[in-house]
Amino acid sequence: MLSHSRCLTRNFGRSLSAIRQGNNVLARRATSGVSACHPITLNNSVSYNPRSSVFQIQYFRTSVAYRDEVVTVKTPAFAESVTEGDVRWEKAVGDAVAEDEVVCEIETDKTSVQVPSPAAGVIEELLVPDGGKVEGGTPLFRLKKGAGASKAPEAPKAEAPAASAPPPPSAAPTPPPPSSVEPIPTIMPTVPPVPAHAMDTKPVSAIKPTAVPAVPAAHAEGGSKAARTESRVKMNRMRLRIAQRLKEAQNTCAMLTTFNEVDMSNITDMRKAYKDAFLKKHNIKLGFMSAFVKAAAQALVDQPAVNAVIDDTTKEIVYRDYVDISVAVATPKGLVVPVIRNVEGMNFADIEKAINLLGEKARKNELAVEDMDGGTFTISNGGVFGSLFGTPIINPPQSAILGMHGIFDRPVAVGGKVEIRPMMYVALTYDHRLIDGREAVTFLRKIKSVVEDPRVLLLDM
Amino acid sequence: MMMLFHLRRRFYLLRAGTGIQQAWTSSSCFFKDPSSSSSSGLVLQSQSTDVFQNLALEDWIDAHLDLQQRSILLLWRNRPAIVIGRHQNPWTECNMPAMRRAMIPLARRRSGGGTVYHDLGNLNLTFFASKKAYDRQRNLKVVTEALRRVCPDLDVQATDRFDILLNGHYKISGTASRLSRKSSYHHCTLLHSADRSALSSLLRPSCTGIQSNATPSVPSPVANLTDHAPSLQWEELLEALVQQYNSEFGLTSALTPVSPSDESLFPGVGNMEAELRSWEWTFGKTPKFRVETQLELRDKQLAAGCSAYLHMEVKNGLVESCRMDIPANWLPLRLSSTLSEVLLGERFCPHRAAAALTVFLRSESGQLHRRLCNLCEVLLAVMG
Repeated sequence: MLSHSRCLTRNFGRSLSAIRQGNNVLARRATSGVSACHPITLNNSVSYNPRSSVFQIQYFRTSVAYRDEVVTVKTPAFAESVTEGDVRWEKAVGDAVAEDEVVCEIETDKTSVQVPSPAAGVIEELLVPDGGKVEGGTPLFRLKKGAGASKAPEAPKAEAPAASAPPPPSAAPTPPPPSSVEPIPTIMPTVPPVPAHAMDTKPVSAIKPTAVPAVPAAHAEGGSKAARTESRVKMNRMRLRIAQRLKEAQNTCAMLTTFNEVDMSNITDMRKAYKDAFLKKHNIKLGFMSAFVKAAAQALVDQPAVNAVIDDTTKEIVYRDYVDISVAVATPKGLVVPVIRNVEGMNFADIEKAINLLGEKARKNELAVEDMDGGTFTISNGGVFGSLFGTPIINPPQSAILGMHGIFDRPVAVGGKVEIRPMMYVALTYDHRLIDGREAVTFLRKIKSVVEDPRVLLLDM
Repeated sequence: MMMLFHLRRRFYLLRAGTGIQQAWTSSSCFFKDPSSSSSSGLVLQSQSTDVFQNLALEDWIDAHLDLQQRSILLLWRNRPAIVIGRHQNPWTECNMPAMRRAMIPLARRRSGGGTVYHDLGNLNLTFFASKKAYDRQRNLKVVTEALRRVCPDLDVQATDRFDILLNGHYKISGTASRLSRKSSYHHCTLLHSADRSALSSLLRPSCTGIQSNATPSVPSPVANLTDHAPSLQWEELLEALVQQYNSEFGLTSALTPVSPSDESLFPGVGNMEAELRSWEWTFGKTPKFRVETQLELRDKQLAAGCSAYLHMEVKNGLVESCRMDIPANWLPLRLSSTLSEVLLGERFCPHRAAAALTVFLRSESGQLHRRLCNLCEVLLAVMG
């Protein structure tokens, strides 16, 4: 009897080894010399094989009745007479795992051994701490078998029929903002027709919810479309700190904003004419930021009050002879504000190089504290996101901030005629305790004049 | 070109199927193919010297090729780099500021074991086999026998810790391996002519005061083969190894050059390489550790100083808890505690911490600002 069963085992094992590729636990068991399917040999082989490792007998009875059971997974036997190893967990309690997904790794004597999950399910308990020592056969973790993670929030299906008036389906998306500049329409858009008579008024109670029977069914099918759950995410420290400081700034400064518009035609032409030569000589691209940074530096030299700051503790105004311009850059991790130092002595090429260098450092995560500390004035460019008009907020402890917006073609009056020019709105938010209205407006107009005609810089006008 | 086509066909045959039908088909092709009898293996030599590309190639072979019927030997070497084991802590194993200055990258491999310095004088060998055929001593025997053939006077011995010692004392090879779900690989280094001074200066901790249960490295005195056998050429060594591998395993394979960045031969290897380069893999996979260290703070303008204590816990490379004990007469308590809070949840990395701290610095001025700047500098030095 015994020899017959052993022969059967061997043949079965051989054919099963051919289908090793599948995530087939049975095959694995077969190759270690144990037949999986022959009920007679099952009990025998388990007791004869002290090295039978990974899975317990329960696992093989995978009929529906045993679907939700909890299995204890043990440490696999180690190779080559190694006795113990350290456990490093990849998954945590409550994580859903698929069959054969790695739950932990065991490091034994320079070898890293993966321990996969025997079935799909949810990790119920980790029986060894991270870094703890285990030997072959030590229980490692408990797995609650069952397909599908129960992590999704409870389906709102139960709620929908209960609601008396179903909420209107919020499936209609808001129309996306126009991202590209479209040709200027030459005719006025048609005015939407006003209803000729007032809508029939009916007391609310009279309105019968006729749509109710159909909608709950739709909701039950749609499921999460009408979800009314909320999720709470703790604010991280950086955000809390920034929020606190912004409010402090708002409370101490007397903040207001003045606007102006800049005709970008000349600077656009200049850029078009010189960008290739610039790229060839300096190896970096010529953008618009250099024009604005240089314009701002010039204006700051002319209007020292905008470059100054009030020291609230000593009640002094600190005037600075140097101009350090902070350029606000949005990164995936949040807003980063690197500083270009001593801009008053730089030309367009120097500024582009400095911006490029800081951009590279930011991308490679190499910005140091010195790169981001200080700054006497900030420039923020909302135009890259398509903003038309807006009020930037001062970055403490500075006194003013310049906001650049998007460049859009607009009809403007030039020499008594209407022409289409690429126009940008610029905004200067300033601290009125220090900077008067006249100084702020003059400052902004100076920026406008430099960007509209860079020759002004040469003539020191 | 023929070689590539031939190789592609071999890989196709070797690639694991997904069901009985395919398995039978591929194995019958296998037996029909006259060149691929069951007694041939594959010996590959990587043309790349980029550590991430080579590690990705190892992963790719381990994940995609059917190693049940055959074994593969991969020979590779890297431009200077430091490679830590799967469960190690980079801050205790290597000097990261020095590596940054020397522009030497850090990589974490998927196998266990300790930290190694790689450069063009260090040969790496990876023996891929099925889990059943996993036998590290046999693999090391290939290396020692090959060495004895080319340099008969050399005294090389494999130890029971799977190191290879020269003259019974100097380590010339270290081992690490990985047992996956279906296969295994065992790789080892071989010091032919590596830069030993770089090795010793870089393999020291970035900061003191770290307590962790990560796998430690066991330092040993090392030597190069060329120190004791100056006439041993690189190509000679490779040839001897290939020959010995073939004779030990009864195979007849020739050394085949491959490029690890070839997506047509190794589809998906680019993604594996990207994962190995990522911060989340290299640093985020560090087992949880604590930092307990003393900080020396200085105020240059006043020529004053004081000592402070830092207690930090880092999990998955992110600061989980942070407490700084700074004398209240040096910095107001509210500042020390807010500074600790700002670091929570940030990467244990000087650059990210710098970004978080500058937001905070901008709000202070004068003496407080100076002292805060100094504290930030000292903190960032702790992070390597």
